[in-house]
Amino acid sequence: MTGPLGPGPEVPASAGPTRDVPLVPDHEDSWHRVHPISPLVRGWLALAALAYFFGRDWFESIFRGEPLWLLAEGRGFVAAAILLGVLLLLVGGFLTSWWFTRYQVTQEHVRVNSGILFRQHRQARLDRVQAIDVIQPLLGRIFGLAELKFEVADAGESAVRLAYLPLASAQQLRATILARASGAEADPEHPDQILEAPEHPVLAIPAPRVVGAALLSGSTVALAIMVLVIGTGLFVGHALDWSSSGVILSALVPGLIAVFAGYWSVFSTAYNFRAAVSPDGIRLRYGLLETRAQTVPPGRVQAVAVTQPLLWRFKDWYRIKVNVAGYGVSAENAGARTTLLPVGRREDVMQMLALVLPDPGTEDPFGVFGAGLAGKDNDGGFVTSPRRVRWLSFLTWRRNGFAVTRTALLARSGRLWRSLAVVPHERTQSMALHQGPLARLLKVADLQLHTTMGPVRPVVYQMDIATARRLFDEQAARAAAARRHSLPERWLEHQPEDPGGPDHSVFPGQMERGVRPDSPDRPDQQAVGLGGQEQDEQH
Amino acid sequence: MRSEPIDPDGISWIRVSPKFITVQLIGWAVGTVIAVAVASVPLALLLTEVWPGFPAWLAWTFSTGTLLVSLWMGVLIPRQVRSIGYAERDEDLLIRRGIFFQRVMVVPYGRMQYVDVAVGPLERAFGLASVKLHTASPQTNAAIPGVPAAEAARLREQLSARGQARLAGL
Repeated sequence: MTGPLGPGPEVPASAGPTRDVPLVPDHEDSWHRVHPISPLVRGWLALAALAYFFGRDWFESIFRGEPLWLLAEGRGFVAAAILLGVLLLLVGGFLTSWWFTRYQVTQEHVRVNSGILFRQHRQARLDRVQAIDVIQPLLGRIFGLAELKFEVADAGESAVRLAYLPLASAQQLRATILARASGAEADPEHPDQILEAPEHPVLAIPAPRVVGAALLSGSTVALAIMVLVIGTGLFVGHALDWSSSGVILSALVPGLIAVFAGYWSVFSTAYNFRAAVSPDGIRLRYGLLETRAQTVPPGRVQAVAVTQPLLWRFKDWYRIKVNVAGYGVSAENAGARTTLLPVGRREDVMQMLALVLPDPGTEDPFGVFGAGLAGKDNDGGFVTSPRRVRWLSFLTWRRNGFAVTRTALLARSGRLWRSLAVVPHERTQSMALHQGPLARLLKVADLQLHTTMGPVRPVVYQMDIATARRLFDEQAARAAAARRHSLPERWLEHQPEDPGGPDHSVFPGQMERGVRPDSPDRPDQQAVGLGGQEQDEQH
Repeated sequence: MRSEPIDPDGISWIRVSPKFITVQLIGWAVGTVIAVAVASVPLALLLTEVWPGFPAWLAWTFSTGTLLVSLWMGVLIPRQVRSIGYAERDEDLLIRRGIFFQRVMVVPYGRMQYVDVAVGPLERAFGLASVKLHTASPQTNAAIPGVPAAEAARLREQLSARGQARLAGL
């Protein structure tokens, strides 16, 4: 496995792929391998299936007191040989796939080569990073291993998955990648001492609130409707003297399973949720069995939606979802990955919005965004639908509306299921005005803002046609102007001069606790050291 | 062409080629023949007495209903095609379409990821092509069908050049 060697002094002459995490930029031909136990963690399902297949037979025979078929005379040897053969094949397959998977992180790129017969060489530019996840499945936590996911903007498919590395190495590698992607200068004397950017905790969700959120979620509404329907069925059946109540009750079972699956998914993904901010972006950590630590660098959030399910209004709770180009709509845990805040009070929402949108672009962020969350009519400077559409949308016409700040467009909708979508001007991809026959009769139109793939689909509903056209024109101009001033992709490379100064434009009370995501804190990180970074992810 | 209420002020739309109406009509005729044939299967079975039990009114409703809906769609095609238009502005491209459900879309040049020019066999026979713009958003459904081939090539070059000049990240 030794290719032609680079001239680098750090690379020993015998260097094949190593298992050390690359801390200095790799040369073209220095490669690394993931942890050898990785295929086992990934392929444990196959092993479990095998164990189940043989084990079940075994157990049943033991309990019946019969001699084992497998171990009956003359067969024991054959059976053992088959079992051993299958095991050897599996382990051999695991080992080969591990051997042929190599990766490297150079100054500019991360590359992964994998596959035995069908080789795959993948390369991604570091400064195109949209998000980095460190994931620990349950088995990975037992072995102290973690998967590193590197996302670029290709709507869902992870650009690079390194599975699995020891947890500390995965975190170290994440810090390395983020440091290089950000364009921060490395300490020339110690190029291998890249320390994780210091982070400031922003909020944590207490466990009781997670339970409450699950109980007040849509699953409960579904459960109530189901009980109502089936209760009525039972009552009617009883009155008509049917004998089929068993059938009606058995219809409850799949419904109940779905409801509890709903509870579980809320609980398992919101459990132990913590958010923090660092110069490398927003950090989210959560999970009950499988734990995830997500990092979203500055300027990677394309759109935000704050929603409130029906029952949450009793507690004034909200949920925040985001569109990040790298997350896309991949099936695996997509719901949790795109959640910036699974459940939070209004002040939590304001804090998280401040992270995503460091400059709200208004003098009264609490007024404007508060009106977006729960207000109606014109409070907070919102423009709503004209009164004549009340026949068409009698519940929502006072709530549907929009507000524009210097930096973002807020689209408000929903009376019972409240929703607020925020799109930074420089993230608007394209826009469309829609008008159907009824809307033309009422002289209104919808404005749809297009953003990258994700759960947020911002629409300004039923605006007066003149207002809608003006918004359409002005928003196009604003987006064009904002694009010219957007942050560079390497977020620490050179500071954009902020003409307004850093203070007047942030949510008050927020940034004393957090750090402006674009402040150049790299020198300070040297002082924080490795010890400081470990505490949060070791549980 | 009169301006619809949702069209921005001061825009003169470039309309697509009238030949695209013929292309659409040919496609529509083929589709109609197939749809009516499929919907008439029960009627045929009934009249040939293979399936005499099938209710006659239902069989007739299937056939005539499909025929009427298809004819109505055919009548709309010329107006639909005439409603498609585009306009190049300094910073962005405007595209409109639709008569009952209208849409006006703005695609900034700097947001374009790539431009597709596609030609099908029917379109080629009439010297037409479709131009499609892609941004990072899957919702950007910015297609301009039925553009004369030379104009499509000019659009592609023009859009690419302007996209280069105003390139922005995501």
